[in-house]
Order: sequence, then C-alpha cells, then structure tokens
Amino acid sequence: MQILEGEGVTKYFGGLAAVSKVDFHVDQGEIAGLIGPNGAGKTTLFNLISAALVPKPGTIRFKGEKITGLKPHKICRLGLARTFQEVKIFSNMTVLENVLLGSLFGCSTGMSSADASREAEELLEFVGLSAVRTTPAKDLTLVNQKRIEVARALATKPELLMLDELMAGLNPAEVAQAMELVTRIRDKGITIFMIEHVMKAIMSVCDRIMVLHHGEKIAEGTPQEIAISKKVVEVYLGE
Amino acid sequence: MDLVTILDIAIGGLLMGGIYALLAMGLSLQYGVARVLNIAHGEFIMLGAFATYTLYTAFGINPLLTLAIVGPIIFIIGFLLHRTLFTRLRISSPSPGAFESRSLLATFGILFIIQNLALIGWGANLRAYSYLNFGVNLGGAIFTANRLVSLGFAIGIGLAFYIFLVRTRMGKAIRAAAQDPATASLMGVNINRVLAICFGLGAVMAGFAGTLLSMRVPINPAMGMNYTIIAIIVIVLGGLGSIPGSFIGGFILGIIGTVVTYIEPSLSLAAYYFIFMLLLLVRPKGILGK
Repeated sequence: MQILEGEGVTKYFGGLAAVSKVDFHVDQGEIAGLIGPNGAGKTTLFNLISAALVPKPGTIRFKGEKITGLKPHKICRLGLARTFQEVKIFSNMTVLENVLLGSLFGCSTGMSSADASREAEELLEFVGLSAVRTTPAKDLTLVNQKRIEVARALATKPELLMLDELMAGLNPAEVAQAMELVTRIRDKGITIFMIEHVMKAIMSVCDRIMVLHHGEKIAEGTPQEIAISKKVVEVYLGE
Repeated sequence: MDLVTILDIAIGGLLMGGIYALLAMGLSLQYGVARVLNIAHGEFIMLGAFATYTLYTAFGINPLLTLAIVGPIIFIIGFLLHRTLFTRLRISSPSPGAFESRSLLATFGILFIIQNLALIGWGANLRAYSYLNFGVNLGGAIFTANRLVSLGFAIGIGLAFYIFLVRTRMGKAIRAAAQDPATASLMGVNINRVLAICFGLGAVMAGFAGTLLSMRVPINPAMGMNYTIIAIIVIVLGGLGSIPGSFIGGFILGIIGTVVTYIEPSLSLAAYYFIFMLLLLVRPKGILGK
C-alpha cells in the first residue's frame, strides 16, 4: 500500500524548476531512499511534502488524503514528521524540552503532560541521549543534535518519517550507529523516506531508491538496479 | 548629597523601573516572538489606564481589581488584531523582513485609530484619581504606597509569566516559536494561533502597566508614545526576548531617569535617547542579549 504519493509535483524558483513533474511514491513499511547530486531538488521535494513550500502544480497524497495546501502543523498531526539537513533544534531549550515539544503538540489527541514527559524520556533512551537530557540543546555535538531531531520527530508519533541527510558530517562509527538507528525505527513500524549522500549507508538500508537530477526523476529501483543504472552512473561520474 | 537623597533616587528608580520592565516584556513578546515592532504599544498602556480610571471613578471598582477586567478585554483585542491583520500580512509578505516593515507601518495606523477614538471618548484633558496615596517611610525617604504596590505587581506579573513560559505547554510553544517558527509548526504547533496569543499577551502587559501607571501619574489619550519609546529602549538595553533582561534594563533606565530628573527634570527623555544611541553604538545586542 502506498502511504505517500506525489503526482506531477513541480516547484519553480523564479524561472528555474527546482522540482519538475516528479511522480513518486513511498510504500507502507519500507525504507525509501532519495539520492541525487547537489542541487538536484531533493530537499525542495521534502519541503514540498512537509508543506514548508507548496507545489505548483502537482498534488501530494498522504494515506490517500490530499495534503497539498494544508498547514504544516496539520500535516504533522496526520502522522508525517521530518528532520533537517542543517539541524534546526531549539537551541536554547534543553534536550528533553525539544523532544517534549513534539510529544505535546505532535498528535491531535490531547496528552497529559505526565504522559508526554514519560514518552519523551523513552525516546531519549531510544536514541541514546538520556544522559544529556537536561543539557541545553546548543551544547551538544552535531551527531547528538541530529539524534535530538530524530527523537523530536518520533515524538510526534509519525507513520512516515522523512530524514534529510541524517548521516552528513558524521564519522564512520557514527554512520554505522545512525544506520542501526534507522533500521530500529523501521522495526517500530514506521515508514522511512530518506535523503542521503553516504552511498554505503543508503545502498545497504534502503529497500528502494529514487534518483533526482536537475529536479527530474531519472531512475527508480532496488539498490542493485540503481548501482548498475547507466543513467545514474553518468550523472554521478560525468560521461 | 545625603543618604536620604540617594535612597530617594535609588528606590524611586526601581519603582519606575518595574513598570518599564512590564512594558518591555510586553513589547518583547510582540517584537521578539511575533516579529511585530508595535508602535501602538503605548496605546494599550493608555487603554489600560483609562479603563481603570473609568471603572474606578464611575463604578468605584478598586483599581487593582480592574486588572482582572482589563486583562481579558485587552487580550481579546490584541489576539483578534493579530488573527485578522498581522496573520494576513505575515502570509502575504514575501519575506520575514518585508513582514517586519509592513507590520510596523500597520501599527502606526493602529496608534492613530486608538488614540483618536480615545480622544473622542475621554477628551484631551489630563485626568487623575487618588488611590493608596499616602506616604510610606523607607529609611528616611518617603514614597507613596501606590508606587510600592505597583512595583510589587510588576514583579509578580513578571514572575508569573516566567513560570508560564517554563512550565506550561503553551509556554514551551512560545519559546519554540521565538527561536524558529517554521520548525515549531512542523512539530505540530499551530503557529498562527501561538503568535496571536503572544501578541495578545504583549498587549495585556501594556494594559497592566497602564492600570498601574494610572494610580500614580495623570493620564491623557496622548500619553502612549513616550512609553512606547521607553519600551523600545529597555528591550534594546536588556536584550530582546529576555525576561531578566527586561527587568535589569527597566531598573537601569528607571534609575537613570530619576537621577537626571533630580538634576534637571526636562532632560530625562533626552537622557533616554542618549543612552539608546550610545547602546546601539557600543552593545547593540543588549546587556543580556545573545
């Protein structure tokens, strides 16, 4: 079953098409990857899905419901959460408060503050940040700030989690931990749609990969199919 | 200068500074979170002052009790103003910078509308009433009780607001929105509603300051502008968005004001501007600014 589908999704910045007539879908329960060279339109596509931007033209459906034009907080409450390429944590708030915000506001059903705190603590445990729960978020290392973003997104109880370059800037050991985290999230039953530049990571964790180039989808398939696709190799290595 | 004079100036400055801090906290919410540099801030002070004046002189309601009436009414006015005017401006502005300049111009319009309506309603004369107007001796220096009470209320309101920001669900949303509204909305925060609440709360603080001021100084419909300027100076002095900063900035400005008034009363406003310009040149992010 398709949890997320896009039809003819397009976004122009001035005269330039950042994303051009892209059809895409993400199946329930899978880890879907989105790759492409810098400037291919990957983050723009994520922004369109999470309603930071509005596609023109094009429609995006989540769980069969049209979400184009909805406000970002409504989309979040439907069960779609994301992280950012450049971390956007609330730097003056503590690690716990960052995650708590997701618990308190992320789902439409009301939640008592005691339940929200308990859930936030569990998520900090899940991503391995319990030890620094009362530290201001700005004092953490990049890898830990990225973990805050993951925990905060999970706190909104998503059915689909979009990860924008979770592994960028991490060392090999941290990348391995992040890959393990991604599979553990999927094991919770959460569908994952991820942008990644670390090829080793995306090739090993993804079930299916889409490739964007100059705003257009040029390939789609299993990691094995993508690895041998002539078109993809051309884009990445030049002709 | 003897000890009593020094006490007189120092305590007098703190008594004024508490009100300034309240004004600044309100503007800090409107400008720091909702990004509206509200030039009509002082008009909400004036509305609070006149509401209390009218309720006290016409209906005999205790001025301190009028806080409970002034608060909700001004909150609703501020909230609706943001929901209708500023939300629309925010959505239609191409960038946050464009929104700041457009909303600034809009608040000028609001200033004139409120001020002229007040002139029609209450006339241009100075008005005053007498409440808690007896002297209290503090180490030889004498202050009227209403000034001491108003400082107590200003500090109490500041503390309550601080606890609200740290402890409550809405407080956390406000702090998140102050740092990054777009990301907060992606976490499920209804950002338009939160910003409108901030604007409304900012107006309430101005209204409260007006109620407290009306107990100690004569009021008239044109009184707002000076206080708007003072609020702007205090948030620059204390650092935008910091509650302790608002109080430190308010007290510093209050003390400077009383010192200058002691030397030459007509120079106090000029001294404020001087401090303001000096600060912009030397430390534009304020004392506690980040």
